[in-house]
Amino acid sequence: MEQHSAVVLDGSEAGDVGAAQVRRVLEDELRNQGWRVDVYAPRELEIAPCVGCFNCWVKTPGRCENEDDSQAIAAAMISSELTVFLTPVTFGGYSSLLKRALDRVICLVSPFFTRIHGEVHHQRRYPSSPYLLGVGVADEVDSSAAGIFSTLLERNAINLHAPGHAAAVVRRATAADAMRVALQHLLTASGVPS
Amino acid sequence: MNAERHAFLLVGSPRRGKSTSAALGRYLGDRLAEQGWWTGRAFLYGLIGNAERERDLLGTLREVDLVVLAAPLYVDSLPAVVTRFLELWARDIADCTDPPRSSLTAILNCGFPEAEHNHVALAICRRFAHETGLGWCRGLALGGGEAFGGRELDQVGGMARHARRALELAAAALAAGEHIPDAAVELMARPIVPRRIYQWIGNRSWRVKARRAGTLAELRARPYEANS
Repeated sequence: MEQHSAVVLDGSEAGDVGAAQVRRVLEDELRNQGWRVDVYAPRELEIAPCVGCFNCWVKTPGRCENEDDSQAIAAAMISSELTVFLTPVTFGGYSSLLKRALDRVICLVSPFFTRIHGEVHHQRRYPSSPYLLGVGVADEVDSSAAGIFSTLLERNAINLHAPGHAAAVVRRATAADAMRVALQHLLTASGVPS
Repeated sequence: MNAERHAFLLVGSPRRGKSTSAALGRYLGDRLAEQGWWTGRAFLYGLIGNAERERDLLGTLREVDLVVLAAPLYVDSLPAVVTRFLELWARDIADCTDPPRSSLTAILNCGFPEAEHNHVALAICRRFAHETGLGWCRGLALGGGEAFGGRELDQVGGMARHARRALELAAAALAAGEHIPDAAVELMARPIVPRRIYQWIGNRSWRVKARRAGTLAELRARPYEANS
């Protein structure tokens, strides 16, 4: 039987024990549910910052001409049915490590504009996109930061044409069992078929 | 008198001095300079990753009254380089025994016609100020920033009239030690051109650029599609 494919982008820094624990539980839960899981940790990869040239839309459509590790991530994301952004909550948003990877995947959408819910966005390039899951990690869950985090994931889901999405912030010190339950709820909330 | 007041512009665009972000920040900085402020600036691209230049910049920021962050929107939030800078700045503030004396404002612009796309990124800036103890003077969001093409606002003509007025109102408030007023926020958010026209021009410009690059037939290519 063919397995569903999930990609986890781990935007934590080396030595972040809490994020590593969340990642272990997440990977374990996904595999238990029958997913094939591929993990990319930008801290271990060579990913240059996006230089805003738009050559991935015009000169080499659909692909960044700087073929560092970001393009393996882009290819994996668009081939997956679920992509998970795992990141320390950074002022409500993503860590710079995760963001460095995400800035380089705009090649996955078309430069052309369309309207979604009355607002202008880019057209989809591929016929299907992965469901998006945002898992933020923090020492304490702050409602304001968690709200920003959720909204950011929601905006990403619109712009990346995700068929479903969900986001949550979990405490680093959360016990593994409680963390597993939270991640199960998150997967359900995203609407991703199990 | 404002003779002792210092403002520092941080430009978070990879296009550096030729960016719309820089032009917006310069216009605000010039208005502050007219009111007697000293203004300085740095471009985060090319600086972040250079430990010595990072240290110099963080040292400078400890001494200024107002920091103006001007940046484009990348994937619904601040560019990675800007985020990295905020991470470093937060650590520097935490390491400092004295509480920070600066206030922060942000001018963000995006390539979509609606300014609202910038709101999450502005919320991140506000949250950064809250977590670090910096004052937050509110921020400005511009939609359709691509249309300015990095030109000085004085050279853009009527298309930038609302942005210029917004920055003038913002400068007057900041110089007086006040938050950016609602009127400035509303003016900056006004569409540069009607949305339908912006969308049409935008779509056409991609085709023109692709024709020049010889890639018109490939614009919708899917290089990462299975079996492609």
